[in-house]
Amino acid sequence: MYLPKFMIERPESPEEAATLLKVRKESRLVAGGTELFPRMKYGLCSPEFIISLKGSKISRPRVTPEGMLILDAKMSLTAINSSPEIQEKAPLLAMAAGRVATREIRNMGTLGGNLCQETRCLYFNQKHTFQFREPCFKRGGEQCYFIPKGNKCWAVFMSDLAPALFCLDASINIVGSGGVRQIEIHKLYTHDPLKPISLKADEIVTKIIIPKNEGTSGSGFAKFTMRGGMEFAGVNIGVFVETEKDLHTCKGARITVGAISGWPQRAPEAETFLEGKDLTDDIITAASRKITENMKIVPHHGYTKGYLTECLKSQAKTALTDATNAIIGAT
Amino acid sequence: MSTNQKQLLELSINGESYELAVACQETLLEVLRNRLGLTGTKEGCGTGECGSCTVLLEGEPVLACLLLALDCENKQIETIEGQSLEGRMTPVQEAFLEKGAVQCGFCTPGMVMASTALLKRNPDPNEEDIMESLEGHLCRCTGYNKIMESVQHAAKSYPEKS
Repeated sequence: MYLPKFMIERPESPEEAATLLKVRKESRLVAGGTELFPRMKYGLCSPEFIISLKGSKISRPRVTPEGMLILDAKMSLTAINSSPEIQEKAPLLAMAAGRVATREIRNMGTLGGNLCQETRCLYFNQKHTFQFREPCFKRGGEQCYFIPKGNKCWAVFMSDLAPALFCLDASINIVGSGGVRQIEIHKLYTHDPLKPISLKADEIVTKIIIPKNEGTSGSGFAKFTMRGGMEFAGVNIGVFVETEKDLHTCKGARITVGAISGWPQRAPEAETFLEGKDLTDDIITAASRKITENMKIVPHHGYTKGYLTECLKSQAKTALTDATNAIIGAT
Repeated sequence: MSTNQKQLLELSINGESYELAVACQETLLEVLRNRLGLTGTKEGCGTGECGSCTVLLEGEPVLACLLLALDCENKQIETIEGQSLEGRMTPVQEAFLEKGAVQCGFCTPGMVMASTALLKRNPDPNEEDIMESLEGHLCRCTGYNKIMESVQHAAKSYPEKS
């Protein structure tokens, strides 16, 4: 399969990249290329210009005197998975990065690219040359083939790293042609599968900032896939649990579920439920059940809603158990 | 600089230097196979799902089908053609042959490259490490068991271990 023709620009700084994105109207930003290039090969988009961030310098993870962890959005997923700083300060992110796709893709794909990926759907992500059907919403049409009679797009946002960063309360730095701004990670997502990322056309994610976590905490990440590897998640979940000094009373929890709708979703009921409770098996099972309540679950990639609900329950239990064990193991 | 003209590029593949003019949209896979005749690297899906186009870029496995040739300048590229030295196969290749891990052979170059990178990184991998390294490689013939056995066998005779 061949890529369509395009021209390439190689900015040296994020500011230059932002200016180019503004000047070159039909342009796309590319870092790893593992998400954009397959779409281009399928003919789903054919930008005139590619603004390539490859070649620009990647900074190492940095810990500020206040204990904040600052990550370059251009870091590869392998680098995130193996970085000692990230493993120590944000093990949840390192775990999640290690579960993305395959080693080859983790070597190429970047943190920023993973966060800013397009939503996916079984109908949309393929070649459409020989499909004599009206286009779907994502291709400019007015129907959804995946949820028949659907009056909007139901594509699913598949990032594994976004739920982890939601749980870590991360913020992101954005550079645009108008300057720099910092937003909380959840504001990056629009809740609209047609345009999942809230960035303006001339903006790029440059840094990810993870605040310091005081106290005793543990985290867990679980991802359900049919084959085990080389797959987007059926459902994924990140869990961050803080305990009192006794190591088993939950002080607070942050739970985020991804890959079941057009954006990563927090589970506020389950988080409140866990507060002040003893983290026993029974409580974890009850919390796992609670996570599925009020969760918007879109059947996708051949999985039914009921199946995904059951998967989410079991994955939630795994992640919560791992998080609890991490706290006990950490002492 | 932006241009739709071809750009002159110097590629270092298997220790040899190649100078050629490539278009922006040409992938490393296209350059290897169509321009340089290095057809050992295979194109399976072309969209990063099968692993048959795996080559080593600076010693790390990457997918040549999703890598622009222009992004490979000044980097060491290793393909399956560079694996055998003076007509002798590497321990990984020997092991694949000995253990019967090759049937149709289409996935083999990618599998060998990923296994070679794994053994360089970790000369004593356990089953989980091997599975993690080969999870992106599809094989429709062998059922994977023979491939797993081969990598374990190669690890025993891997030169850096002795």
